[in-house]
Amino acid sequence: MNALTVLLAPAGDQFGAPTPEELFNLPPIIPGVYWFTKPVLLAMLSAVLVIGVTWAAFAKPKLVPRGVQNAVELGYMFVRDQVARPFLGKDADRWMGLLVSVFFLVLVWNLMGVVPVLQFPVASHIAFPAVLALVIYGLKVYLGIKHQGGVGYFKNMMFPPGLPKPIYFLLAPIEFLSNMIIAPFTHAVRLFANMFAGHMLLAFFSMVGFWFLFEKLTPLGAPVGVVGVVMTILLTGLEIFIQYLQAFLFAMLAAMYIGGSLHPEH
Amino acid sequence: MSAQERRPENDGRDFADAMWSVPSSLLAGMAIYGGLGWLLDRWLGMSAFFPIGVVLGVVLGGYLVYRKFGR
Repeated sequence: MNALTVLLAPAGDQFGAPTPEELFNLPPIIPGVYWFTKPVLLAMLSAVLVIGVTWAAFAKPKLVPRGVQNAVELGYMFVRDQVARPFLGKDADRWMGLLVSVFFLVLVWNLMGVVPVLQFPVASHIAFPAVLALVIYGLKVYLGIKHQGGVGYFKNMMFPPGLPKPIYFLLAPIEFLSNMIIAPFTHAVRLFANMFAGHMLLAFFSMVGFWFLFEKLTPLGAPVGVVGVVMTILLTGLEIFIQYLQAFLFAMLAAMYIGGSLHPEH
Repeated sequence: MSAQERRPENDGRDFADAMWSVPSSLLAGMAIYGGLGWLLDRWLGMSAFFPIGVVLGVVLGGYLVYRKFGR
């Protein structure tokens, strides 16, 4: 038996990469209640967690923060200084409630992807980021019309000042499409796609490790399995960074859209 | 750009605005004028206007970004 026949075992015995179908189309937790799946459970858990932790931190705030308050205040300061103030300026404090909630919720959603046992990033089902993005989109249009007037909002959006007159005819549709349709779409898809791809990647490499080291341990397969395990560990580190980064970007874009509606561009 | 918008705390906003609206504008330009070209092609039974539209859209999107943020 040569090396090739060891590697190419008969069909059914072969390594099969996990498909999106089996990774993301999960069965209901309670048989019969078809809407109650793992992502729904984790989304509820995340909401409870965010409310609980912020409640514990800020229900009785101390002037000199200790314990939980200290940790959560670090997150609050981060959102205020990196997300709210650059885009909202003096309006930052009024919008902190929303932005902190969005940031913490998306962060916990994402981190669910690397918590052992749970291991499912909620945002990898597009419905979850889509709902959040739609809420922000509704808020953006509402605030824009409220602060700039129904006509003024669309005029400021589609006709930025300082362009030669005839060119507006060509550029206004581009501005409209990019602000009203592409912006909310990419807002949701950016988060979804990152979480989806990250989960696929982690599942693939941990599957490689599991298959070649436990299911079918062969002298030739073992090094491949070791590579799978090492890659899983490295990519988990990368994933944690991306999960945090995407939560930050989601909140940052929300602040940018709100800021753009409150104050018309230049 | 007025003096009020030159304040340092607005610099981050301007920069990020530009960063995010560049791909969005290019994409929108491609979609709008590529789409118009595609419709024109269908109507006339040709195949020249779709690529012309896509290129025109990218150029217009780039021009828009240049005029809005280029200086």
